Amino acid sequence: MPVPCRGGCGNNAVLKRPKTGDALCKECFFWAFETEIHYTITKAELFNKGDSVAIGASGGKDSTVLAYVLKTLNQRFNYGLNLMLLSIDEGITGYRDDSLETVKQNRDDYEMPLKILSYKDLYGWTMDEIVAQIGRKNNCTFCGVFRRQALDRGAAMLGVKCIATGHNADDIAETVLMNVLRGDIARLKRCTAVATGSEGTIPRVKPLKYTYEKEIVMYAHYKKLVYFSTECVFAPNAYRGHARALLKDLEKIRPACIMDIIYSGETMSVKEQVSLPTQRICSRCKFVSSQEVCKACVLLEGLNKGLPKLGIGKSSKAKRMLEEYNAKQAEKETVLKDVIQDLNDTSISDDTGHKNRKKDSNKENASNGESCNKNNCCGGSCRSKTNVDVAASNKKLDMLLEQYGLDDNTSDKKSIKENGVTDTNVSDENGVTDTNISDHSDDETPFNGQEEDDTCSSACGGISVGF
Amino acid sequence: MNCKKCGSPKTVILRKKDYYCNDCFMVSTNHKFRACIGKNKVLSPNENVLIGLSGGLGSTVLLDLVHHGVSLENTKKLRITPFFIHLFDDNCKGLAESIIVQCQKYNFNVYVVHLAVYMSSNCTLPEPNCIPDVEEKETIAFRDMLNSMPPSAATDFLLKIKRSLLVEYAKQLKCNAVFTAETTNTLAINFLSNLAVGRGSQLQNDIGFCDARDEYVKIIKPIKDISNEELKYYVDIRQLAPVYYSDIKKSSMQSVISAFVSDLQGNFQATISTVCKTADKIGEHNNNENIMHERCVICESDLQAKDMKLSALEATNLSRTVSFENTQLKQNLENNADFLNNFDDINFSMFPLIHKYLCYGCSRNYSEMSQSALPLHIQKKLNL
Ligand SMILES: [Zn+2]
Ligand SMILES: [Zn+2]
Ligand SMILES: [Zn+2]
Ligand SMILES: [Zn+2]
Repeated sequence: MPVPCRGGCGNNAVLKRPKTGDALCKECFFWAFETEIHYTITKAELFNKGDSVAIGASGGKDSTVLAYVLKTLNQRFNYGLNLMLLSIDEGITGYRDDSLETVKQNRDDYEMPLKILSYKDLYGWTMDEIVAQIGRKNNCTFCGVFRRQALDRGAAMLGVKCIATGHNADDIAETVLMNVLRGDIARLKRCTAVATGSEGTIPRVKPLKYTYEKEIVMYAHYKKLVYFSTECVFAPNAYRGHARALLKDLEKIRPACIMDIIYSGETMSVKEQVSLPTQRICSRCKFVSSQEVCKACVLLEGLNKGLPKLGIGKSSKAKRMLEEYNAKQAEKETVLKDVIQDLNDTSISDDTGHKNRKKDSNKENASNGESCNKNNCCGGSCRSKTNVDVAASNKKLDMLLEQYGLDDNTSDKKSIKENGVTDTNVSDENGVTDTNISDHSDDETPFNGQEEDDTCSSACGGISVGF
Repeated sequence: MNCKKCGSPKTVILRKKDYYCNDCFMVSTNHKFRACIGKNKVLSPNENVLIGLSGGLGSTVLLDLVHHGVSLENTKKLRITPFFIHLFDDNCKGLAESIIVQCQKYNFNVYVVHLAVYMSSNCTLPEPNCIPDVEEKETIAFRDMLNSMPPSAATDFLLKIKRSLLVEYAKQLKCNAVFTAETTNTLAINFLSNLAVGRGSQLQNDIGFCDARDEYVKIIKPIKDISNEELKYYVDIRQLAPVYYSDIKKSSMQSVISAFVSDLQGNFQATISTVCKTADKIGEHNNNENIMHERCVICESDLQAKDMKLSALEATNLSRTVSFENTQLKQNLENNADFLNNFDDINFSMFPLIHKYLCYGCSRNYSEMSQSALPLHIQKKLNL
């Protein structure tokens, strides 16, 4: 039974909005989606006319939709913005290649200048060079610390007025929960802000702050936007992992809870007596730091002086326990997600023999370093190990597939690049399409100790100083 | 290994590292309870205090601690006049009976009150120590009301109902204070639940030591600093028999959170105390302390909205505005150059009665329930 669009346009609805429960047709959905983002931008005064704005671009769904919508709104409402894409390449051989290809596609499609900055450009060292210096054991520290600051450094090099990141409502709600779990009152207070940035730094804004991840996926799907969908190789820290799992479970029961959690964060007040650590600016590089000299500068100093271990802190036993636990969870999740994705993929599978494609998917897994997650390690440095695990994890996947009683040809892993979309729809009881998001590729966080955290920058469109 | 206080053989191990003997452990737990009341200075001497008993772990220990305190004859005597109340539901009469027995062991009287009195707001005191008969009409109306909303809203609403009944009966008994027995676990669950239903601004009252929303009656959580681990040793040593029962409805967000917290407790005990310490740092937003603001009809929270350029409330209302019957709006936007002007009368149907009568969380519940199922005295206050 077709459901009429709630907009009153006479068309049939294609989806039900998770935020309000309203069923909309495609056209009304596009209009509502864009108008809401325009409202956020206007009401919160995120930009000034004439500003040059760098969009943190990872090739993922959030930053792709952000770039597309900002370009559209910039034209439609005369923002007068000079938009550009900014991507960070960590220089880990093989890891970023596919997503950077997608960002280049964004550049051509949306006719925006793209700047890809490497760690070499930003810090004078590639990750591969760092690994060669310090070995594989500690490279996570470097990668995480560098990644956090990369967008800021890049934006400064481009001379832009502001950085726009693709953080969506789900990311923000998840961050509220995460900061509660780890008792980080200062970040809890900051993390719901739509714009962040202290004196002397380049502000970051989140135009998608109130936009549901599900709707971003649907928007990209219906608009046929090309984006790169993969698990971020940077494993989230244990707290984020827990927060994410909790949020997903809550959302299933009451989808509006994402807005409710954001509202809680926005309206929560910290007692006056509680003194919060102030954010300051590193005396060397002038980027945001919690200390006199930021961690990146300390690490760089070590590298340049040939004392690469400088600044690498010990992680406590408890933390390690959490890490391991979380890594195991993440591993389980990855496998499950694959299965779910496969379940959803039937509608857009093509004619290629599935045996063949399955092999491809293995290769994709390996090159994305997905299984690196279980070592909670960054990027490619342990990829050799990963390859060994492919067979094993494949077996596991097959087992799961068997368990879930799936048809063999449903196990095809779809290639996003071919289809241009990543998502399939399942209909709920109303016959209204609802998306099932099987990937959460964006904004992952390495576990680099309590004092910093932050989401994956270049990879996923947004680190955030404010988080 | 020996007790770290007195050197006798240890019988209690806390946090896997602190050893106590039974005597020293009991002294220290009593001290925590008294210190919590003492340092917060909300009670005046010989104050009447209504103590809400649920029968669970915290409630059982609180009852014992109060009994111990008021029985002392020296300068350490707990100078309060305690009254006891248990709010019960049809489906757990057995629990009510065991609470009566618990109290009789201490020679305390306990009032047992059916939750359905919320429907009539007829808060006359029943005979102590017996389960009162309630009109069936009332109990059915009460059940229908809770059944008219989804489990998450019902679980949240039930907490507000209990709170309001405790306050009402405290007034009947001329008590200016109420003790409730939330443990670290319940507080961690309530903290996350409050966040999930948009009650972030109410955390200080719901999770902090004192709920000061009512003008006359303060609701105090005197054992909030005693961990579940300690409470369990306490009931073992004193050979008490708590009765576990949870009001959390199945398939509610609160049940998911509750499972999440128990899971954390198993693996990461520290996280629960972290959550509770975070709660201590959260305060109440107040622009002007001296002015008594309008309060939510259901939960008594301050209705004054924090001044924000843009909030999730507005964003949700905007989503409804642009989704529902949007053809006129589409036209207006094309003709009217000042974009924001078009949203002067934003659609509030997602949040009925918000700010005027209800807070965000209560308005959300209200929007999800059958509104005619609300008790008449509430409907009247809502001007329905
Ligand atoms: Zn329509
Ligand atoms: Zn620095
Ligand atoms: Zn001792
Ligand atoms: Zn309320």
